[in-house]
Amino acid sequence: MILVNTETIPGMRIVELKGIVQGNTVRAKHLGRDIAASFKNIVGGELKGYTELLTEARREALERMLAQAEQLGANAVLNLRFSTSAVTQGAAELYAYGTAAVVEPE
Amino acid sequence: MEGVIVLLVQLSVPVLLLLIGLVVGTTTERLHLGRLASREREFAGMSVTDIRTFGPGADPSKHAALVSGEAVIATDYLKSFLAGFRKILGGELRSYRSLMGRARREALMRLLAEARRKGFNAVCNVRYETADIGGFTGKRGAVMVECFAYGTAYRLETRDSQ
Repeated sequence: MILVNTETIPGMRIVELKGIVQGNTVRAKHLGRDIAASFKNIVGGELKGYTELLTEARREALERMLAQAEQLGANAVLNLRFSTSAVTQGAAELYAYGTAAVVEPE
Repeated sequence: MEGVIVLLVQLSVPVLLLLIGLVVGTTTERLHLGRLASREREFAGMSVTDIRTFGPGADPSKHAALVSGEAVIATDYLKSFLAGFRKILGGELRSYRSLMGRARREALMRLLAEARRKGFNAVCNVRYETADIGGFTGKRGAVMVECFAYGTAYRLETRDSQ
């Protein structure tokens, strides 16, 4: 599966467009990480736990999107976008969407 | 007399936290800015754009791929304390501005590191995104910024692949 956030791929031709595919996940942070975070708020610096949490959540949203694309028989997703929204305090929705397509070498 | 001692003990905790913030927070920030500068020099040879199309000379034999980088950075006690005053007076929150800048630069450096690791030497259509996982909206929430950068990595024929 080829994933890009551009509308074209060098050396590839779009054969068929399959439409929009999407995947999302809503994640909450947990207490242990909160305690670590409140400590970090005294000294400053990177919150590695939150970075990992978000990376993992985004991967999950992306995988759900890819599963949809596969189901449609696509071999590429073009113009991929990520988006987030705050659902409730302490939780966030991560959303990935793009256009599934069938591409072949030129 | 007892009242004075109690007051001193109560005051010493925030003062201690402010001192820790001043010493550790400022050092952490300076070291991070130094690391960012050296990594930016290291990646200076890569072509990075936020244009939606590939640069002239894109190599069609290597498939383009999505690359991304993410960073969550917290502020220190002193800076959030000073920002509290600034919020009363209004104006620019300079320490938070630097915090946002650090998170964005860190995310971009991680994106470029991933691109280089995968054998690419150029990235186009770079986009920044932020997520709020409870930093700004919560009353007791930690002051932190989350930044996510993503883009499409490809290979430029005109440049040496490093």
